[in-house]
Amino acid sequence: MQKDEIHTIKFAAIVCLVCSLSLAGIRTVLLPIQVRNQRIDNQINVLKALFPDFDPQGNPLTLEERDSLFTQGRVPREWIPLYFDNFVTTEDTEAGPLYILSRDDQIVAYAFPAEGKGLWSTVHSYIGLETDLATIRGVTFFDHGETPGLGGECSKPWFQRNFRGQKLWDDGAPVTLEVAKGRAEPNSRTQVDGMSGATITGNGIQRFMNNIFRTYNEKVFESLRAEATEATEGVASHG
Amino acid sequence: MAKNPKDIVLDPLSDNNPITVQMLGICSALAVTAQLNTAFIMSIAVILVVAASNTIISLMRNHIPPKIRMIVEMVVIATLVITVDQLLKAFAFEASKQLSVFVGLIITNCIVMGRAEAFAMQNPPKEAFFDGLGNGLGYSAILIIVAAFREFLGAGALFGFQVLPESYPGNGLMVIAPGAFVVIGLIIWLQRTVTKKYEEA
Repeated sequence: MQKDEIHTIKFAAIVCLVCSLSLAGIRTVLLPIQVRNQRIDNQINVLKALFPDFDPQGNPLTLEERDSLFTQGRVPREWIPLYFDNFVTTEDTEAGPLYILSRDDQIVAYAFPAEGKGLWSTVHSYIGLETDLATIRGVTFFDHGETPGLGGECSKPWFQRNFRGQKLWDDGAPVTLEVAKGRAEPNSRTQVDGMSGATITGNGIQRFMNNIFRTYNEKVFESLRAEATEATEGVASHG
Repeated sequence: MAKNPKDIVLDPLSDNNPITVQMLGICSALAVTAQLNTAFIMSIAVILVVAASNTIISLMRNHIPPKIRMIVEMVVIATLVITVDQLLKAFAFEASKQLSVFVGLIITNCIVMGRAEAFAMQNPPKEAFFDGLGNGLGYSAILIIVAAFREFLGAGALFGFQVLPESYPGNGLMVIAPGAFVVIGLIIWLQRTVTKKYEEA
C-alpha cells in the first residue's frame, strides 16, 4: 500500500512537471508572435475607421478600392506598419486615445475607440471622423459575441458602410445618430439601416456611439474646433 | 473489436461515428458549424488533440496509477488543447478569434476523454493513435457536412465565397445554433436508414 501511494505521488508530480514546463516553453516561444498579431488586428480596425484615401506610397485610392481594402478588410498586412509609421499618430487625450491620419502635415481624418453593451457581449468599435469632426468617415465593430446572422451582422461591411457620411454633430451641437429598426429614411443624415432581428444590438451601438462621441466632443473636439476657427480667422466660418 | 489499423480508422467514420452514433461532441458541433472555415480549423484541432492524447495515454497506460487515472488523462488532454490554442493564436489568428472559447472547450469534448478511457487505456500506442485519428476524422466529417449545409443555406456561400447570387436572402434558421440540430438530426436519420442500424430502446 505504502509503495503504491509513493508511486502515485511520484507519477502525478512528473506528469505535472512535464506538462507545465512544456506549456511554459510553448507560451514563451509563441508570445511575441501573438502580441504582434493582436497589435496588427487592432491597427487594421483603426484603419477601417480612418478610411485612408491614399495607399502607403501616397497614391490616391478610389472609393471602391478603399471599400475593398478597409471596409471589407483586404488590406495587405505589410501595408499596416507603413501607415502607422508614416501617416498615423496617436494622441492620449483626456477622453482616451485619438488616432490622427495626416499627410504632408495636413490632417485627413480622426478616429477614436468606442465600446459598449450589445445584447450578449461588449461590442468594440472605432469611429472615424472627417476633419469637420462631425461627419462619420468610417466605423468598425469587432470582437463581439453577438448572435451570428443577427446582431453579429454589425461586423459585416454592409452595416459599417451604412455609417459613412452620417452626422454626429450638426449646426453647432451634437445630433443623435439612430440605428433604425429596418430601413433608414432615405437621405437621412442621422439614421442608418438596422439589422433585422437585432434591435437590442442596434440600440446598444446607437447608445454607445452617441455617448462616447459626446464625451470626446466635450473634452477634445471642442478645443480642436476652436483652434481651427482661430487658424482660419477672417475666413468665413462654416454655415 | 476492429483489429487492423484500416478498420480502426474507418469504423468511426460511419458505423461508430462519434457524433451520429456515439452522440458525443454535439455541443461543439452546434457552435462552430455556421461557417466552413471555422468548422475546418476546429476539425484539424480535434484530430490533432484526440490522436495525440490517445497515443500519449496509451504509452503511459501501464504506469498510470489507477487512483488518479482520469486526472492524468485530463492533464494530458488539457496540455494538448492549450498547445493547439496557443498555436492557433500565433499562426491562425483570424480563425482563433472566431473559434474563441470553443478551442479551449475541446478539453471537455467527450470524444477526447471518451476515447482515452474506452480505447487508449487498453490498447497499444499504434492502435490508439489510429483510433484517435479515426474518431477525429469521424467528428470532422460530420462537422464539415453540417457546416457546408449551414453556410450554403444560411449565407449562400462556401468557405466564405459567395456561391448563390447576392440577392439570396439567407436562411436565418441555418445561421443560428438550432439549425445545426436540424441538420444533424437529418444526417442521423439518413445514416440509420441506410445502415439499418437502430438502437434498441
